[in-house]
Amino acid sequence: MSQARDAIFAALGPSQTQSADILRHADALLDRVAALRPNRVGDDLADSFLARVTGPVIGASGQRVTGVESVPDAVRAYLLAQDQPPSLALQPHAKLLSLDWSGIETHHAIAVDEAVAVCFAPYAVAETGSLVFRSGADMPVLFAFLPLHHIVVVDAASVVAWLEDCAAIEASRATPRNLNLVTGASGTTDIEGALVRGAHGPAQLHIILVDPVLPPAEKLPSHVPATPDTSR
Amino acid sequence: MPISAKNAPRVGLFVTCLVDSMRPSIGFAAIALLEAAGCVVEIPRAQTCCGQPALNSGDTAGATEVAKHTIALLEGYDHVVIPSGSCAGTIRVHYPELFPAGSPWHARAVALAARTFELLSYLADIQRFQPQGVALQARATYHDSCSGLRELGIKAQPRKLLAKVEGLAITEMDGAETCCGFGGTFCVKYPAISNAITEEKTANIKASGAELLLGGDLGCLMNMAGKLHREGSPVRAFHAAEVLAGMADGPAIGEVA
Amino acid sequence: MTTAFIERSNRALADRNLKLAIDRTTGTARTKRAAAVAAWPQFESARDLGRDIKDHVTANLAHYLSEFERNAIASGAHVHWARTAQEACDIVIGICRAEDARSVTRAKSMLGEEIGLPHAMADAGIERVETDLAEHIVQLAGDTPSHIVWPALHKTREQVRELFLAHHTDPGALATVEAMVSSARRQLRQKFMAADIGISGANFLVADTGSICTVTNEGNAELTTTPPRVHIVTAGIEKLVPSTAHAMSLLRLLVRSATGAELTQYTTFHCGPKRVGDADGPEAFHIVLVDNGRTKMLTEGLAEMLRCLRCGACLNHCVVYRQIGGHAYGGTYPGPMGAVLTPVLDGLPIAQDLPKACTLNGLCEEVCPVKIPLPAMLRGWRERAWRDGLEPQTIRNGLGLWRFMVVRPGLYRLATRIALPAIRLFARRGWIRSMPLAGGWTRHRDLPAPAARSFMDQIRSQGR
Repeated sequence: MSQARDAIFAALGPSQTQSADILRHADALLDRVAALRPNRVGDDLADSFLARVTGPVIGASGQRVTGVESVPDAVRAYLLAQDQPPSLALQPHAKLLSLDWSGIETHHAIAVDEAVAVCFAPYAVAETGSLVFRSGADMPVLFAFLPLHHIVVVDAASVVAWLEDCAAIEASRATPRNLNLVTGASGTTDIEGALVRGAHGPAQLHIILVDPVLPPAEKLPSHVPATPDTSR
Repeated sequence: MPISAKNAPRVGLFVTCLVDSMRPSIGFAAIALLEAAGCVVEIPRAQTCCGQPALNSGDTAGATEVAKHTIALLEGYDHVVIPSGSCAGTIRVHYPELFPAGSPWHARAVALAARTFELLSYLADIQRFQPQGVALQARATYHDSCSGLRELGIKAQPRKLLAKVEGLAITEMDGAETCCGFGGTFCVKYPAISNAITEEKTANIKASGAELLLGGDLGCLMNMAGKLHREGSPVRAFHAAEVLAGMADGPAIGEVA
Repeated sequence: MTTAFIERSNRALADRNLKLAIDRTTGTARTKRAAAVAAWPQFESARDLGRDIKDHVTANLAHYLSEFERNAIASGAHVHWARTAQEACDIVIGICRAEDARSVTRAKSMLGEEIGLPHAMADAGIERVETDLAEHIVQLAGDTPSHIVWPALHKTREQVRELFLAHHTDPGALATVEAMVSSARRQLRQKFMAADIGISGANFLVADTGSICTVTNEGNAELTTTPPRVHIVTAGIEKLVPSTAHAMSLLRLLVRSATGAELTQYTTFHCGPKRVGDADGPEAFHIVLVDNGRTKMLTEGLAEMLRCLRCGACLNHCVVYRQIGGHAYGGTYPGPMGAVLTPVLDGLPIAQDLPKACTLNGLCEEVCPVKIPLPAMLRGWRERAWRDGLEPQTIRNGLGLWRFMVVRPGLYRLATRIALPAIRLFARRGWIRSMPLAGGWTRHRDLPAPAARSFMDQIRSQGR
């Protein structure tokens, strides 16, 4: 090991506490979290998530659809509304690949100046309105950063309440190379504090929340795109 | 609630070096208010300064020497009351820090700290005092001095007391809790920075539309009043105790009788 | 008081554009933070928890450093150690050379600024592309950051427009801030993809996974760290947290305190290099763990400063920072947290004004998400400056004389009796406009005339 490493550890001195005691103390700190979390998350986690993510602070747009088969239609409607040609980068995820994308040209390699990409998020966090992505063979990280329009499909049933739930899920799985929490479209306030979207990453984030098809299938209202917060 | 002479607290009034030299009327106002609240007021003869100039300059040895003098001077009273948040904060918060824990002086500093109060919070919180028969037709704004606000939690007390002054309307200014730029020796060591901070403060005071600027710390009041006067503003400044004691018909800070 | 600091602060005070720029950004930041805090009733308890998490890590730093190192290596990362800024830069430059890197992208990191990495890369002849929009502006201007969250806070939109017109290949008209942001997006896109190495900092080092966490609103960190062959992380050793869950608690505090948002748009935990089968990511992942004075802070009574999350709230709320901006401080870190850190990094003789140019109003401590006792720490530096004899002799003599009299009440009374009437000679209608030795006060404000007779003299006459 390096001289610098030895010097730093020497400066810190030998550990005064047993590892087990340190771990116990670290866990005990987390026991306090439940009592002091900031936002009330409603009983319907998916509703709470969608309300937060389409609210004025995050300013994304979103909708709820029933059945994953409805996703391509929702995407077509979005492309039309945004005046985008029917072409997009489709994340090579089984759930997306199995859908009928007829009428839209899809490709699985993302271009540097890609206009639209459709991704699948394994789950989302209601507290903060965050989508969670785990990098891997079927989730190239750049899909969440290169496109101008980032469309994300997420199962309503997969929404968890708190950031700690996300930490707990991840603690139980093998750590991916990147765990990306995406909370809204890219933005910057670097010039005179004025908020501008699409600094480097996506300028628009659109969420398609998928409810399972259950009899009787009740249609839930779709959320219109919110006006982005420009007061920053 | 009337306090009988038998259980009336013996209060040692520490007026501060600034009040002693610059504005004795604040000391007299404090006496009048404490007596009206039923206290037996005594003025420890050997009082000078709490030692803040040394403390804030990093001269710990000097501050410790002054603290010992002040602790010995103020030990015999039921309560020690000071018409300044920053001087009261020095005794309550910083004196105990000057001595090693466990030492006799530390114990004495801690004991004194527990019995020491800033005047307005003492009147409102400890004596539950309400001024009676005081009237002043004026619009005033109140500056929350930083030490009083953040070291001692003084915010509601002066407003509660002033609300009992007939005819007095308090108009809150923007940034009432923002530092006025005084900072003790800071204002003479870094006058240009201090001035820039004070200019923002006086702009807020003037924008509030108040005729009077009130506060609980003479240092801050002198800084703001001095700037207002240099700017030609008609806003006049008093210590809140002067208003509560019915002395605001006299000259304001910087005015001649 | 050093003339260099006075000159820098005077220059800043004379710059009205700077004041406008500071007010715009810090004003919005204060309003947004206040709203976020107001919407979180348990904020105070959350601050206590934040403080306790950081203190727990500081108290067990050796344990967590070992755990992090073990897990990072297991994830395939290379872990490097640097005692000093120089060692850290040497390691980074060494990797760049070994990889034969021609172009290096960099996502903003205050640690990178602290160790002088931009300068070291220039000296080594390595092309450095700053990707954070503000850092990009600062780089084009040949400038240094003036705020730890908004490095280009000192630039007005007009100044940014001129820089982009001069340096961007396809700027367009740049009539709006949106157009400027778009131009930067176009300018930097190809650079992201063409870089050989991407360098980032870390907001957290997660001990139990060996991950490093970055937070950005622009998404530039991931664009910096994903396409290149190599990702280098430079991070201070105090950035450790026991687990991802602990990081979450601190993220809640950090983001609200910095921008008033609930979470940054892009919060990413990076763990090791590209895995087998991964669609993208760097082939090599290096983590440079930097001490640069931190272990010394532990032994010199500055451990509480190691809690700092670099949120910038203390800057945004500081009356002094809001008047003089970041450059006047003369170090990497400005504002209250900078006034505590810069004497560690640059030495107290050079930085001695920073702890003194403070009104000790306590607001910085009140807004700090991890309850760092900044005013007490600044007092600590003042004590040190006094002990080291850095205070000018005139001030030492003056305070010495004052103290001599303060503990001798008889003498003090006599001096007051002589001084008050003498000072009153300078007064006209109750006010003193100027007076010898009082220039610090009377240059900018009038001094009320003192009393004709002191309170204690009057009391004595009354026989109380």
